[in-house]
Amino acid sequence: MKLIKREGEDFVLHIGRRERRLLFEVLKLYPLVPVAHHRVSQTAKQMDEHQTLLEEALAERRQENKRQLVAMLHEEQRFKETDAGYRLTLSAPQVEWLLQVLNDIRVGSWLILGEPDEKKGKPVALTSENARHYAAMEFCGLFQMTLLDAVQQGR
Amino acid sequence: MFAGNKDLRRRRSGLFICPARIENRSALDYFSGMAQTVEPLVAPDIGKEEKSDPKGDLAPGFLVICWDDPVNLMDYVTHVFQVVFRWPRPKAEFHMLQVHRQGKSVLARESPERAEHYVHQLQSYSLHATMERDA
Repeated sequence: MKLIKREGEDFVLHIGRRERRLLFEVLKLYPLVPVAHHRVSQTAKQMDEHQTLLEEALAERRQENKRQLVAMLHEEQRFKETDAGYRLTLSAPQVEWLLQVLNDIRVGSWLILGEPDEKKGKPVALTSENARHYAAMEFCGLFQMTLLDAVQQGR
Repeated sequence: MFAGNKDLRRRRSGLFICPARIENRSALDYFSGMAQTVEPLVAPDIGKEEKSDPKGDLAPGFLVICWDDPVNLMDYVTHVFQVVFRWPRPKAEFHMLQVHRQGKSVLARESPERAEHYVHQLQSYSLHATMERDA
């Protein structure tokens, strides 16, 4: 996947056929991060109400993201077929939520993998069950980098 | 948590005029006699604000902190800081590197409402962010 051009506020990207299939497969995993994973505070004790609000807000946001995601995946005009693959057009806000969605899958996969951390000498313990999450984490990172490069070029 | 603050904000608007009390006046009050200056029947109702407890957990002065984790991409974290705080790239990069090297970075010191807003924003991007009371 790479940026072809900016058309006003829209990003026009090229995506290969296999890449598109991969993207669709990865996006089906959304959402992956448990809502309760995010804590509003690490120290304050009287934060129950804050925490409830945070979880409600995140759940609402995810529901909206999921709705947009399903709409995008089923929208025929979103991916226009070309000789070499597809031309994907995304508006700036769509790029933002796609980044959020991809990062949710990336972080969620990382959690499922047992929060590996090379710096702390905790490598990924791959099994046949979690291998697809390792792949999802890496692919999400690649798609994210492409989108971030596109945004950066447009700034 | 902050449902109470909504009422407080409304109370801060000061004067309340109660239309129901005007409507209840008899029609004769309006149309009988000569034209004259009518004294207002409804005195301004100045509500008292409820004092908040400055020592409580909801007191102003909350730090928005982003914590390091090994999964979020550095460019992604920089981008999120730029979007959420509308910072220029060098400032966003400075804080991203602080998170990366020191384990955390204080991104803002805000009222509870604003701090909570920022934490919600950062967490919607799946960053590890919390709000902590400023000691």
